[in-house]
Amino acid sequence: MRTETDPDAPALRNGRRERAFAAMEEFDLDVLVLGRPANIRYVSGVPMLWNAGTRPFGPGCVAVRDGQGIHLLSTWDEGVPEEIPHDHLYGITWNPMNFVEVLKGIGAPVGRIGTDAMSPLFAQLLPMAFPGSDIVDAGPALRSARRIKTAEEVDAIRAAVGVADHALAAALEALRPGVSRRELTAVFMAAMASAGVTTPSTQDVVRIESTGTGGSGLVVGEGDLVEFDAGVVAGGYAGEVGRTWPAGKLSDRAGLGDLYRRWEELWGRLMDACRPGAPASDLLDAYRASGEQIPVAPIARGLGMGFDDPVVTRRLPQVAAREHLDPGVVLVITGCVFDGAVGSVVAQQPVLITDHGPEVLSSSPFWTPELAGAVAGER
Amino acid sequence: MAPTTTTLSLPLSSLGLPDEPDLVRMRRERGARIRSIMGEMGIDALVLLSNSNVSYATGATWPLSDGGRANAERPVAVILADDLQPHLFTPYLADAAAELGLDENHLHGPTYLDFDEGVALFAEALAELVPGSATIAVDDVTGAMHHDHKLLFAEWPPRAASEVMGPSRLVKTRDELACLRHSLWITEQAMHEVQANLAPGARQTDLTALFLHRVFELGAEANVLDPIWQVMPDHQADLPWTVHGDIACPLLSTERELHEGDVLWVDSGIMYGGYHSDFGRTWVVGAEPTPRQQEQYERWSEINDAVVSLMRGGVVAADLTAAAKALHGGEQPWMAHFYLGHGLGLDSAEAPYVGTDLGDAYDQRQVLEPGTVLVIEPVIWDEGHSGYRSENVYVITDDGCVNLSDFDDAPYGPTDGGAA
Repeated sequence: MRTETDPDAPALRNGRRERAFAAMEEFDLDVLVLGRPANIRYVSGVPMLWNAGTRPFGPGCVAVRDGQGIHLLSTWDEGVPEEIPHDHLYGITWNPMNFVEVLKGIGAPVGRIGTDAMSPLFAQLLPMAFPGSDIVDAGPALRSARRIKTAEEVDAIRAAVGVADHALAAALEALRPGVSRRELTAVFMAAMASAGVTTPSTQDVVRIESTGTGGSGLVVGEGDLVEFDAGVVAGGYAGEVGRTWPAGKLSDRAGLGDLYRRWEELWGRLMDACRPGAPASDLLDAYRASGEQIPVAPIARGLGMGFDDPVVTRRLPQVAAREHLDPGVVLVITGCVFDGAVGSVVAQQPVLITDHGPEVLSSSPFWTPELAGAVAGER
Repeated sequence: MAPTTTTLSLPLSSLGLPDEPDLVRMRRERGARIRSIMGEMGIDALVLLSNSNVSYATGATWPLSDGGRANAERPVAVILADDLQPHLFTPYLADAAAELGLDENHLHGPTYLDFDEGVALFAEALAELVPGSATIAVDDVTGAMHHDHKLLFAEWPPRAASEVMGPSRLVKTRDELACLRHSLWITEQAMHEVQANLAPGARQTDLTALFLHRVFELGAEANVLDPIWQVMPDHQADLPWTVHGDIACPLLSTERELHEGDVLWVDSGIMYGGYHSDFGRTWVVGAEPTPRQQEQYERWSEINDAVVSLMRGGVVAADLTAAAKALHGGEQPWMAHFYLGHGLGLDSAEAPYVGTDLGDAYDQRQVLEPGTVLVIEPVIWDEGHSGYRSENVYVITDDGCVNLSDFDDAPYGPTDGGAA
């Protein structure tokens, strides 16, 4: 039970820091100026207050390659590890010029300064803080560091997926005709928090496809297909899993079994595509080979501290072809099949690529045609 | 139940808020305000990436994700000064089409602006909407947009969208206030339930579980802040070290168990209609406040009332901070890393900020207009005896202000038996 706010464990944060500084070396970056919470946690190992949504850019963490110093925007030292001494902490300020002074005070060498984001304001201020230096995009370096997970990171993701599985099970237990989308979301969130994790990775947890009878999209009808997108952030790591379950007495839904069998066939091909070292575009090809339409949303996203490489979407074919599913990559893969008369079956699986092939990290159950006739909630 | 201490403010009914926010009117009025300011500022197009700006400019709302995932799935808006409809690039196409009534040619699929390939595709789409000679302003810039800025912007750095979005979002319409009030109502209902279940042995995360369950049941679109249930010790030395020597707050919640007599500083916020609530109270676990703690509350009330009594259209922000300091021995009765007050709307804290480290000269220049929302949050720290902190959400009107919060101060409250 976590009753204190501690830094991430030494092995976890040291492994990440090594990867971050190695990426700085490889991409010839002298300094990182980080604004995104996930990057800040990756480099610093410090748990921070969770807010939903995007945040404007500000220098939340600075890493200097020479000497491997880490400077952190934190008004207090709770959760701050020993390698970040008090004089490397700086407080919240509302005056952007104070940031310029803080950054100057770090005494970084003139060179290449990489940032993970930018704003018109900081495009003006950063050259003042780092005179003579080039301000460049650190995105490729950070993504390269983060895409391969250390063993400790994989453990952290497994733990997060375990909480997502647990909270999803609670929501599935509550699934029956007449229950509302709100109530199912509420049950999911409460189960997550009761398990000691209070931060979701998505809050769009439940989608009701009113293909049955008596439902409204907001309330589950008999035979509706209900899609769950279960995601939590535990210890900084996202654990995500998704399932589609029909509600109520199911035996009268013609075509449902066929649709689920199509999903299984697609999933088999997606797993076949997860050969270690294969291009990520093989996942798109798996959809094509099964004759299923590729959805608009990404069919795979790296899983780690939020959004990692690879991102596989039909809109970015070059990115998909360039990315490889190397051992140590963790991604959440979406299988999606659709039938105009029956509806959609969408399910996501968190998958670790190992030397021997893919390993599915979730233990959440699937509906199967053999359950037809049973009443959801009495499984 | 003890009454709130906000009798200096005007009744909620004086605002004449609609029972239900009219979302079509809200979108129309916000859009007109944006385009009018774009005209004044000489900006032809806005490229908006931040969740709150996109929501304000398009009317789209969605359950906000964790920041990590929110970067990958963020909707993007392009606003043209001479077009009544926004352009929306979104992964939630079907939802947007149904809710926003946009023409098909204003709805675009998702963009992936963290990738060079995604930026190149977006640049092509932008070029079709905006002539090359146009003046473009942007709020946030991804690393890849920075890298490929020549594809997007004629000049670097580009103009800042905050020139438009700042003044536009500052003053709220009646429908925005109705959304905000409903967001507060959901929060308050849930907090009543949490408070009723507050007992020794409960874990901080149990309170969060109760809170989350109730707000989602009541229709919250999202939780926006991991709820704070900070146990405040008697002595500052029992809090973490800080860079400025002031107290450390807010600290993260854990599975720590609460004990009888613990002083809890509570802070949370949710989202409804895109609008964020803010809730702050001090509670005592399983006990009544001691006379000393009650005294802290009375000092807090005195300061809060003095500030609130000055709030009306045209008030200078520095007058609010001066009134608070005058009752606190010349020191600021708020945390050094925060403020006496902050705005609230589509972000949990937004302009105006009153009493920040921008300094008194800055506050002297800030004149608060009617329609501005201000969360007032004085803090009393009574070294050796913990402290009291509470926050209320006010909207400034022509002749005073209205407290949008509706939650009593129990277990603290007036001891003279009078319902002031």
